[in-house]
Amino acid sequence: MKKIIAMLLVFVMVMGLVACGAAEPTATTQAAADTKPATSTEAAASGDKKYEGVTLTMWSMWNSTEPQGEVIAKAAEAFEAETGAHVEIVWKGRDINQVLSASLEAGEKFDIFEDDYKRIALQYVDFTYDLTEMAEAVDYNSFSYPCLNDTVIDWVGYLNSIVEQPQVGGIFYDKAAFETAGITELPTTWDEFMAACEALKTAGIAPLALDATYADFTFYHHLVHQLGEDRIEELALNGGWDQEPGVAAAAQDIIDFVNAGYLVDGAPDEFPSSQNKIGYGLAAMIVCANYVTAEVNNNTQTEVDWGMMSYPAVDDGAANSATYAGANSLAITKYSENPQAAFDFIMTLVTGEFDQMMADTAKQIPADSRNTAPALQDGTVEVLLNAESPMSWCASLQANSDLKDSIKTLCINLYDGKFATGEEFAAAMQALY
Amino acid sequence: MKKNKSLIFWFMLPTVLSLLIIYVYPVIRTVAMSFFKVESLTASLSKWEFNGIDNYIKIFGSNSFRVSMQNMLLIWIVGGLLTLALAMLFAVILTSGIRGKKFFRAAIYMPNIISAVALATMWVQYIFNFDYGLLNNVVELLGGEKVKWLGTDMKFWAMTISYVFGSVGYYMLIYISGIEGIPADLYEAATLDGASKATQFSKVTLPLMKGILKTSITFWSINAATFFLWSKMFAPIETEESTIVPVIYLYDIVFGGKGITQRDAGAGAAVGVVLTLIIIVIYGVMNLMLKDTDLEY
Repeated sequence: MKKIIAMLLVFVMVMGLVACGAAEPTATTQAAADTKPATSTEAAASGDKKYEGVTLTMWSMWNSTEPQGEVIAKAAEAFEAETGAHVEIVWKGRDINQVLSASLEAGEKFDIFEDDYKRIALQYVDFTYDLTEMAEAVDYNSFSYPCLNDTVIDWVGYLNSIVEQPQVGGIFYDKAAFETAGITELPTTWDEFMAACEALKTAGIAPLALDATYADFTFYHHLVHQLGEDRIEELALNGGWDQEPGVAAAAQDIIDFVNAGYLVDGAPDEFPSSQNKIGYGLAAMIVCANYVTAEVNNNTQTEVDWGMMSYPAVDDGAANSATYAGANSLAITKYSENPQAAFDFIMTLVTGEFDQMMADTAKQIPADSRNTAPALQDGTVEVLLNAESPMSWCASLQANSDLKDSIKTLCINLYDGKFATGEEFAAAMQALY
Repeated sequence: MKKNKSLIFWFMLPTVLSLLIIYVYPVIRTVAMSFFKVESLTASLSKWEFNGIDNYIKIFGSNSFRVSMQNMLLIWIVGGLLTLALAMLFAVILTSGIRGKKFFRAAIYMPNIISAVALATMWVQYIFNFDYGLLNNVVELLGGEKVKWLGTDMKFWAMTISYVFGSVGYYMLIYISGIEGIPADLYEAATLDGASKATQFSKVTLPLMKGILKTSITFWSINAATFFLWSKMFAPIETEESTIVPVIYLYDIVFGGKGITQRDAGAGAAVGVVLTLIIIVIYGVMNLMLKDTDLEY
C-alpha cells in the first residue's frame, strides 16, 4: 500500500514539475472572441473567405498596451474580418531577441516575428522565409524604402524581412529655436553648421544637447563623413588611428565645437537629461535617430516643433552623404505553414490605414512611404527615401568587440573637453592597441 | 522502525531528478560549452566546434573583460569594505541600547524593500543629476561649482556608492541578529573585568561572529560576481567602460547589443565558469581564514 501511495505521490510531483516547466504562457491577444485551433493548420478553404480556417501566430516585440501593440491588434481583427485568418499575437516585449534564437532553433510554432532588421538578416537568416517573390508580386519596393531593402539583400542575398518601423538618423532640431536665432537656411556644411551654432548661442539657446550614451553615435557621424565606414572598420580592427590624418581632423572639429561652448550645460549628460533640455527650451539640436522626438515630447510633456536635417558635410569628406537608417522589421519563419497568409497580414500592417494609424499613434515614420509622417517626424520620409546606402549604428567603430567600450569612453571624453588637440585624441585611440 | 530503502528512493527521486535537470545539467553544459566554439546559446550539439581553451584565451585577452574584472574587483574590495564596515557599525550602535532603535533599523533597511530599479533611477536621475541633483544643490549651497558625478571618471564610484547605500541595511540585519545571539553576561563579565567598549567589540563580538562574517563575505562575493542590474541602470542603452562588469560583458557577447550581431556563447560560458571559480576560491579562502571555532555560548 505504501509503495502505491509513494508511486502516486511521485507521479503527482513529476506532473507538477512538468506543468511548471511548460512553455511560459506569455500574454496573448486574440483577434476575435471566438477560440480557434492553437496551431497553424492547412487552410480549410471551406468558407468564402480567402484564409478561412487558417491561424497565424505572431510574436510581437511590443506589449499589448503600447500604441504599437494596439494597432497590431486592430490590424489582426481587420485581417480576420477580411480574410478569415485568425491572428494570435504573443506579446514578447523588447527582450524578444533573447528568446528568438532559442525558439527558432527549437522550431517553435509561430509564423511571424518582429525584431531589428539587422538581427533578422544576420542572426536568424537560417530560419526566415525568402520573401522576394511575394514582395515582387505586390511591387513592395515602390512604396517602401529601397535603401533598407537593398541593405537586407546585401546582407542575406534575398529579402527576408519587411520594414515595419523605419528609423533614420541625423540632426533633429527645434524649429522655434532656429527661428529665434534667425536661421532661415539649414546648414549643409560644417562651416555653415558652426555659424548656425554661433547664431543660436548669441540668441541665448545652447546649440547641441548630448547624452553620453549617444556620444559615439554623434562622433561617428563626423568620422564617417570624414573617412567612410570601411576605413573606420579597418582602423577599429587593426589600429593606425594616429597615422590617419582624418581622425585628428574630425576630432579637432569636435574640440573646436566644444571649446566654442556649443554644447548645452552639463553635456555629455546622463540619458535622457540632456535631450530633455530641448523640450525645456534650453537646447536646439540633438544628433540621434528619429525616435528622440517622441521621447523628448513625452518626457517633458511639451510639443516641440521638430525638424530634421542631415549631418553637415565636412571638408574633403569621403562619405558626406552617409545617413543612419535602420528598422524594426517583420519576418516569416521558414517553417510557417501559411507563408502567403502571413505575408498578406504583414502587408495589412505595413501599408495603408494601419500603417498610417501606427505612424500617428506611435509617432513614427510610416513604413509605407505613400503615407504621411506625423508632424514630429517632419522631413524624415524624404531623408530616408533619398538615402542611398544607410550608415550603420556605429557598427564600424564597434567592429573590435574587445575595444568598443574603451572607444566609446574616449568619444565621451572628446565631448567632455578632455583632449586639447585632435592629434591627442588620435594618439589615445591608438594607445588602446 | 524498519527502514524501507525503496520508499526513500522513490520519495527522493523527483527532487534528485529536478536537481539534475535544473541545476546539474546546465552547469555541465556550460562548462562543456566553454571549450567549444558556439555562436548561439541554444545551438544544437552538432553545431559545436571544439576549440580547446581558445575561449579562455579570448576572454583573458579582451580589454573589455579585463576592465570588467577590474571593476568587479573594486566593487568587491572597496564596496565590500564600505558595506560590511558600515553594516557592522550600525549593527553595533543599534544593539547598544540606543533610543529609537526600531526606527533606525527600519530606516537603514528601507532601501532593501524598494525595487533596485527604482532606487538606481533615483540616484541616476535625481541625486547625481547635473542640473537639479541633490549633490550639486549641496555643492552650490557651499559655494562650489557643479560636478559631473556621472562623467566617465566618476561614474564607477557613483554606481558603487549607490550600490553600497542599497546594500548596507541587509548586512546590518544579519549582523544585528548575530550580535543579539551573543549572551549579555559575556559583556557583563567583560565590563566587570574593565574592558572598554572597543575591547569588548574586538575580543568578544568579533570572535563570536566569525561564522556570520564568513557568510556575509561569501554573500557579498556572490553579489559582486553577479553584479548586473546597477550596471545596466547606470548605462541603460549601451555598455560603458566605467560600468562594465563581467556579467555585462557576458551578456553582451552572448546576446549582442544595439547594432551588434556578433555572438559568442562559448566565450560567454567561459566567463560564467571563471566567475564560478572565483566564488569557489573566495569561499575556500574564507573557510581557511575564518575557521569556525568550537565556542559554545
